[in-house]
Amino acid sequence: MIKKIAITGFGIVAPSGIDKKAFWANIKAGRSAIKKIERYDSSLYPSHIGGQIHDLDVYSHVSSRLLQKIDPFSHMALIASEIALKDAGIDVSKENLNNIGIFMGNALGGWLYGETELRDLYIEGREGVSPYMASAWFPAAPQGQVSICYGIKGYSKTIVSDRASSLMAIGHAIKILAKEKVEFILAGGMEAPLSPYGLLCCNTNGQISKNNEHPEEAYRPFDKHRDGFVVGEGAGIMILESEERAKKRGKKAFAYITGYGTTCDGVDRIKSDPNGKQLARAIRMALDDAGYSPKTIDYISLDGAATLEGDISEVAAIKEVFGKYAKDVPVSAPKTMFGNLLGASGAVDVLVTVLAMEHSLIPPILNLKDIDPKCAGLNYCRDRAKEHNIRRAIVISRGRAGINAVLALEKG
Amino acid sequence: MDTKTKVKDVIVKLLKVKPEEVREGLSLEQSLGVDSTEMVEVCIALQKEFGISIYEKEVAKQHSVEQIAKVIDSKKK
Repeated sequence: MIKKIAITGFGIVAPSGIDKKAFWANIKAGRSAIKKIERYDSSLYPSHIGGQIHDLDVYSHVSSRLLQKIDPFSHMALIASEIALKDAGIDVSKENLNNIGIFMGNALGGWLYGETELRDLYIEGREGVSPYMASAWFPAAPQGQVSICYGIKGYSKTIVSDRASSLMAIGHAIKILAKEKVEFILAGGMEAPLSPYGLLCCNTNGQISKNNEHPEEAYRPFDKHRDGFVVGEGAGIMILESEERAKKRGKKAFAYITGYGTTCDGVDRIKSDPNGKQLARAIRMALDDAGYSPKTIDYISLDGAATLEGDISEVAAIKEVFGKYAKDVPVSAPKTMFGNLLGASGAVDVLVTVLAMEHSLIPPILNLKDIDPKCAGLNYCRDRAKEHNIRRAIVISRGRAGINAVLALEKG
Repeated sequence: MDTKTKVKDVIVKLLKVKPEEVREGLSLEQSLGVDSTEMVEVCIALQKEFGISIYEKEVAKQHSVEQIAKVIDSKKK
């Protein structure tokens, strides 16, 4: 059993809102933020819908001089970090900088910066490429920018594990905190996949919805008419510290992270193993880590890949672990409202679950009209948020090639 | 426009700083905190502006706008 790790502050930068209140108001109302991508002509892409953020600059204190040197995914991480630190009541300048860590998850890197400079390379030649190219696009760039912004010097890491990246970053962070290597950690993830090349890669991956005519209805996991997930951009960053430290500084935890489990399917380079055995093992690992029996779980935040194998295996895993109780425990996939934020999705799912605990309200899964018979038998919270006291929850996050990660949470 | 004013103009536009931040007599590092990577960008922008080859060893962050202008003027001759 791991130590209880407190979540004492968080910042969400998402298509449903940047400010916590605005974000939760949209989630609570079951409002979709999925729209056609219009920042460039995306109409020739088989899938050209997504969860976009339009008002990043409104919340930004980043200088235009720095903005020239970073990709939007670093910009999002800087904004989310600032909000999270403020939310936690932490003034970094008064802390020991050697004892602060940064654990981030990202799947794709900063492609808007990367592809723009590559275009310049082929058009203008070598000298057309910004010297910041090398430091702007790679997945650990946001970790670096956050550390530079605050002068943070402690044990830090960026995890790249496809869509499970940020949940795995949180999983690593809590283990480092339990070992008392640092005092507190900024943990989470960020993703900006809606650049022309980024979106093309998502398209060629073949797992995203082509329901361009009805963007708000496109993301429909566990539904018979599913055709893949919808991509979104954003960041979710939380402040993690030991229960003792939070108490000592008089800060009430929003929630505690109590367990973590991760496994690999080891079957296919893209698809999940349909039998869900390894996801089930990851769920058990997280529950055992937390010391929870399945019956005590009040809510499951689903990965909701909206692919045949992804959905079937997720339901199979839950049925295997929860047995008869699988039909009772409320489940949902709030990301159907704002898109799958890929490497940032797990962190944002954790934060939605924390908000759900705080408000005793289960956020809905949208567009689940006609449940796939192979996915039936779970207590889906559909279309509308439902009042429910959530004391304990688990969050599932998965990546291509059968990466499974599960986090156990407890209300603060 | 003299070379010094042109150099200052290039730097202000490139680094998105206010003209008054580029202080006379101070190096780019001292007045603007320019680092070596930014200096690569400055060199490329100056090359484009003046149509001459300028190498990083000739123009450094330790130089002021006046010193950079002198280097450019000497190369134009």
